[in-house]
Amino acid sequence: MKTIKIRPIVEGSVEGEALVSPIPISFLGGVDSETGIITDSENPLFGESIAGKIFVFPESKGSTVGSYVIYGLSVNNVAPLALIANKAETIVVAGAILANIPLVDKADQDVTLSIKTGDKLVIDTTEEIVKIKKVE
Amino acid sequence: MFLTKEQQMMLDGEYGFAIAKLTKLVVKIGEVNDATKLIPIKNAQIAGVSYFTVGDPIFSFFNMLSKDKVKVSVPSWLNPAGMDMERWEEMGVLESFADKQRRIIQHYKEMGIETTLTCTPYLIGHQPKLGDHLAWSESSAVSMANAYYGARTNREGGPSSLASAIIGYTADYGLHKVENRVPSIIVDVNTSTANFSDFSALGYWYGEKFHGVIPYFKGIKNTHIDQVKMLGAAMAASGSVAHFHIENHTPEARKVDMNYVTNIVSFDEKDKKQVYDHFNQIKEDANLVVIGCPHSSLEDIQYIHSTLGEKSIKEGIEFWIFSSQKLMQTDDAKKFLTNLEVKGVKIFTDTCMVVTPVIRRNYKNILTNSAKAAFYLTRDGTNKVNLLSLFEIMEGVSE
Repeated sequence: MKTIKIRPIVEGSVEGEALVSPIPISFLGGVDSETGIITDSENPLFGESIAGKIFVFPESKGSTVGSYVIYGLSVNNVAPLALIANKAETIVVAGAILANIPLVDKADQDVTLSIKTGDKLVIDTTEEIVKIKKVE
Repeated sequence: MFLTKEQQMMLDGEYGFAIAKLTKLVVKIGEVNDATKLIPIKNAQIAGVSYFTVGDPIFSFFNMLSKDKVKVSVPSWLNPAGMDMERWEEMGVLESFADKQRRIIQHYKEMGIETTLTCTPYLIGHQPKLGDHLAWSESSAVSMANAYYGARTNREGGPSSLASAIIGYTADYGLHKVENRVPSIIVDVNTSTANFSDFSALGYWYGEKFHGVIPYFKGIKNTHIDQVKMLGAAMAASGSVAHFHIENHTPEARKVDMNYVTNIVSFDEKDKKQVYDHFNQIKEDANLVVIGCPHSSLEDIQYIHSTLGEKSIKEGIEFWIFSSQKLMQTDDAKKFLTNLEVKGVKIFTDTCMVVTPVIRRNYKNILTNSAKAAFYLTRDGTNKVNLLSLFEIMEGVSE
């Protein structure tokens, strides 16, 4: 088990499975707010759903109304459990607050490298840490 | 972050769930950007209007807001929608789209937002003043507010500008602080910027090379508001540049601290040509001309009217100008609008080529004088564009 330090932005403590996007994500046009499925064909996660996962990505890009997509995910019950970014920008901060999804960023390492899809994660925003249980 | 007693009460839910949520949104964005307090804003300009760009998720958000019947607390106005609110059928917009679009605008209206539907609020009486703190979101309007008027706004998103409009505050970071408004690069403009499209080319070239960096332009002789808006719009589109200075022209240029300049570059004839060459993609005939990115002023339209003279637009070519309804309802506008329509020039209001779905769906080869429009229309590969001066366009498409 590995532990990394993070900065909490939207509080919450959750346990779940990681889904890692190696490239920046545009929520508008890149994620379907009704299903949680990634629709950006340039993303290696194309066709996978972020619903119920801890979604890990470097940063967000694209239109600022991407925040409404994140909110839509929660209204449609297909929101991710939590969001971990290297750098949380306005789009994802606004979206996570509206949707009340735990959000952390600024780890002491590149989270898209130290976390692999399928890893079991424990996010604790009070302790400001993420515990990583590697997938076998 | 320091909060006043009132702001803390807003955050704690004393004014309802929606206000608490929106206050938290503004506070958290501030904290992420190391702001230490909130500051009151004079007004807000809100993007996220076109159904083409926001889609269905926005309705969930509106439902949350309408439960608490929230209203804006400062004067606020809207960015363009996805269609002309009256002539949408003529544009080729479908009824299903029009229905959703009307609902979006109705929601904003119920919050007390003026439905201006324009990216150029400063052309319809909403000019900001030197030093005003604002929450504007349309990227070209943001750059005009900062550079041309010396007001202060970050490049807000649709959600954050709406949240600020409702709570009346934004977080004190970025371009709200004097120390973040200084230029880092001097750009010597060594080529003519006679045409509006030249300003657009300069902006596009700069933004692409120096993403997010504030420039100080030297050597620009004319700075009509319509030229500056082309420059700012292109820079914001290609490089997210939200502020700039022009020697002898923009209000902050004379007093701004030049001690942070670390680079001097020049914009020459070859650089300008490179931008025009990049957007010289059509080999066969174009079937659509789009003008008005940012929205055309009366002077822009008058120029088209006088250049056209006795001629008309050629058969088989659509010629579309985008502007705001408020400008087009003036007596000055009415003098030449009918005449232009007879000659084949259509003037659509409330929308533009970038945020309407019909251009990508119904047209392929397009002429424009705006590098911002060229950038967005070609980004997903649907359209091909030639960037030309307005005079060259008029020469080619009229007879």
